[in-house]
Amino acid sequence: MSDEPLLEVENLRTTFDTDQGELIAVDGIDFSIEQGETVCIVGESGSGKTVATESITRIVPIPPGEVDGSVRFKGQGLQSIDDEALRDIRGDQIAHIFQNPQEAMNHVYTIGWQIVEGLKIHQDVTDEEARAKAVELLDRVGIANASARFNDYPHEFSGGQKQRAMIAMALATDPDLLIADEPTTALDVTVQAQILDLLNELQDEFGMSILLVTHDLGVVAQIADRVIVMYSGKVMERGDVYQIFEEPAHPYTQALMKCLPEFGGNAGGIQGTLPDPTDPPDGCRFAPRCEHAASDCTVGDQPAEIEIEPGHLASCIYYQQGYDSSVVQNDDLGTNANERTEAADD
Amino acid sequence: MGLGRYVALRVAWAAAVSMIIVTIAFLLISFSPNPEIQDAVRSASLQGENPAEARERIKELRGLDQPLHERYLDFMQNVYTLEWGWSDSRNQPVEEALLESVYYTAQYSIPWTILTVLIGPLVGLYSAANMYSWKDHAATGFAFAGWAMPNFFFAIILLLVFGIWLEWIPITYNTDAAVFSLENARQLFFPVFVLVTGSIAATMRVARNESAEFINADFMKTAKAKGVSPFRAYAYHVMRPTLVPLSTTLVGQLLAVFLGSSLLVEFVFSIPGLGRTTFDALVAQDTNLVLGSVLIFTFIGVVGNLLEDLVFTVLDPRISYDDR
Repeated sequence: MSDEPLLEVENLRTTFDTDQGELIAVDGIDFSIEQGETVCIVGESGSGKTVATESITRIVPIPPGEVDGSVRFKGQGLQSIDDEALRDIRGDQIAHIFQNPQEAMNHVYTIGWQIVEGLKIHQDVTDEEARAKAVELLDRVGIANASARFNDYPHEFSGGQKQRAMIAMALATDPDLLIADEPTTALDVTVQAQILDLLNELQDEFGMSILLVTHDLGVVAQIADRVIVMYSGKVMERGDVYQIFEEPAHPYTQALMKCLPEFGGNAGGIQGTLPDPTDPPDGCRFAPRCEHAASDCTVGDQPAEIEIEPGHLASCIYYQQGYDSSVVQNDDLGTNANERTEAADD
Repeated sequence: MGLGRYVALRVAWAAAVSMIIVTIAFLLISFSPNPEIQDAVRSASLQGENPAEARERIKELRGLDQPLHERYLDFMQNVYTLEWGWSDSRNQPVEEALLESVYYTAQYSIPWTILTVLIGPLVGLYSAANMYSWKDHAATGFAFAGWAMPNFFFAIILLLVFGIWLEWIPITYNTDAAVFSLENARQLFFPVFVLVTGSIAATMRVARNESAEFINADFMKTAKAKGVSPFRAYAYHVMRPTLVPLSTTLVGQLLAVFLGSSLLVEFVFSIPGLGRTTFDALVAQDTNLVLGSVLIFTFIGVVGNLLEDLVFTVLDPRISYDDR
């Protein structure tokens, strides 16, 4: 193996043609994933996390979407290869699982058929071998009586079972990278934990990397090695999971943390809404909702990411030279949350 | 429980329905004036005989003096043993007359059905894949035009333009043409064309709307992420689920056009098929032949609906056969 990361994304930009004009879902983001690592992309709904992950193998609808930038997977540039070569990678080396297992399977085919379909596209196997492999996988992801349930239709599976079957489908070809888009969001809480445990276990077993998209910081804490915080198509902050949870640097990350009950629980969430993706504001995307926003925050482009400590970067003007980073850095989470709650009561 | 039992129940139900329809047809005929008796009475009175006597005589001759329930049992027995009586207007047994008509009707109905089943869903899928593009609008426009135009009127226009002005097609139907001959293809082209345009619209629209839903479904994204090719995705992941709702529309639409418009089209193109025969029998007050035609149409309708139900349950795995 070379030193090169498994996946390296540079200046990824995904736009959609809409009646309201060009919608910029992902606006020039960079990230990389090492072999065997779990990276989480977090952010509010609509911040572009899902589109970012779907842009990697270009499964976003194109057109109306358009993907720019460089995506290198195992040293191979995915942005320049044709559809057929890309299809060979999809579902083989890069697998996806999705948010809503209820809808992610075709209702007129059996679970087994759908697992075998992917397997047979990528591997030269007989029907019996494919079936045996699918049953083995279903058993591995925790479906009881797997060989009988092979012939069941999706509507005969519960939500959690369907997500397990989706995972089995994704693992069928022993992928190097599993992209999991909100894999637990549609499931109830007890099942969520089981699915995350399963993903952790399987990662150790199969040695794959996981790119997980979520808006749930609890999920992040449970599974992530590194975290990327996205907002309005831009990366706000990145770092390893301890840096992000213990010393969140960006006011947006801090605001997200304040929404967690463990930090004093601001049930009101973050004031305001995401900016219009067809007409993003100047300066920092988060400035209109940021309690520390100064006049410099609303001019120019999104501030460049500044390295605060090794591997921990934030895109906030206060970390640039000439600004007092203590304004945002020493923000005591607990106290502030209480103040905010009082302010909301007035 | 299971599919076998469900099919058996459906078939039994279809048999019951056809029996009810046959009974209604029998009652309608029994209580309507019988032209044969009227003829006999009229000619008797013209010749100075006793009209009442003549009435009794003809009734006895035709077995109409029997009580209603006996005549009904007789009639039902004849229906199921395929003895449908004598056609006075055609001077041959009713079964034979109908068989001859079905021969001509089948010659345009079979190609028309095949074309509708093939073209309708494919054009719909194509439209959905290119939704809101000019291709979609063109296909939709074509479908609506075919749907909106009455078939018999369209047939007359085509006959006028291509038969009389351009003289590309014969304006009279040649019953001697061999089934698989160029001449037969030429004379059947426009009847088939008119019927396809009439029946394709609903099929195409339903196929378009249903498959549009599936093209944007999450499972298409799953398929794409699995590395499924676009062709395979459309064929397996869109077409297959679309066939479930489409099957009902398809059968319903074919039946509706068959029972309604094909009669008029036969009349315009002077094809001596089932519709034409029924019409002539009605005009000639040939009771037995009318009843026979009704039975044929009933049979086709009932079998069509039966097929529709069965196909639907086989296609959609979510339908349970229990408790039915």
